[in-house]
Amino acid sequence: MQKGMHMPSWYKTYHPYVSPMDPCPPITTKRYSTPPNLYLGFQPPGLEQFTPSAALKAGTLWKYFYDPYYSTREMKKGVRE
Amino acid sequence: MKQVPPQYYSELEQIQAIDFVIVELALYLHTHPDDLDAIQQYNESVKRSKALKRNFEKKYGALTSFGYSYSRHPWEYKEAPWPWQV
Repeated sequence: MQKGMHMPSWYKTYHPYVSPMDPCPPITTKRYSTPPNLYLGFQPPGLEQFTPSAALKAGTLWKYFYDPYYSTREMKKGVRE
Repeated sequence: MKQVPPQYYSELEQIQAIDFVIVELALYLHTHPDDLDAIQQYNESVKRSKALKRNFEKKYGALTSFGYSYSRHPWEYKEAPWPWQV
């Protein structure tokens, strides 16, 4: 989960099978991003919006679609907005 | 060579922000043609964008050429700052 994010995190995780024959140290949990538009379908009118300057920075006009991608290293350092 | 003043950049960013809103609303309106609120917001944004650009061009010269902006005398096409210097 992303710390400090005001909305639900769009990441899902799964646990790959770990075999004693694996050549490298196992990765126990894998994380993948599921962007918000997957859950919305046809966009309803009147969604909450950013201000113009915030929208330019965020990359989208509607707060619902704001889904920044942070690598696992950045996640550990704490989410920077 | 005179440097552009710092508010050149803040005004330009304002124009970029409002133009981004226009692009987002235009794409939204492609699929929601009868959303009146969005159309009103779109028209307000276009009005604001035109005002910002007119104000900017009065102070710093043409933003775009080939008929989209008025020109001063002499023709300023080669004047700095060029896009990569902005």
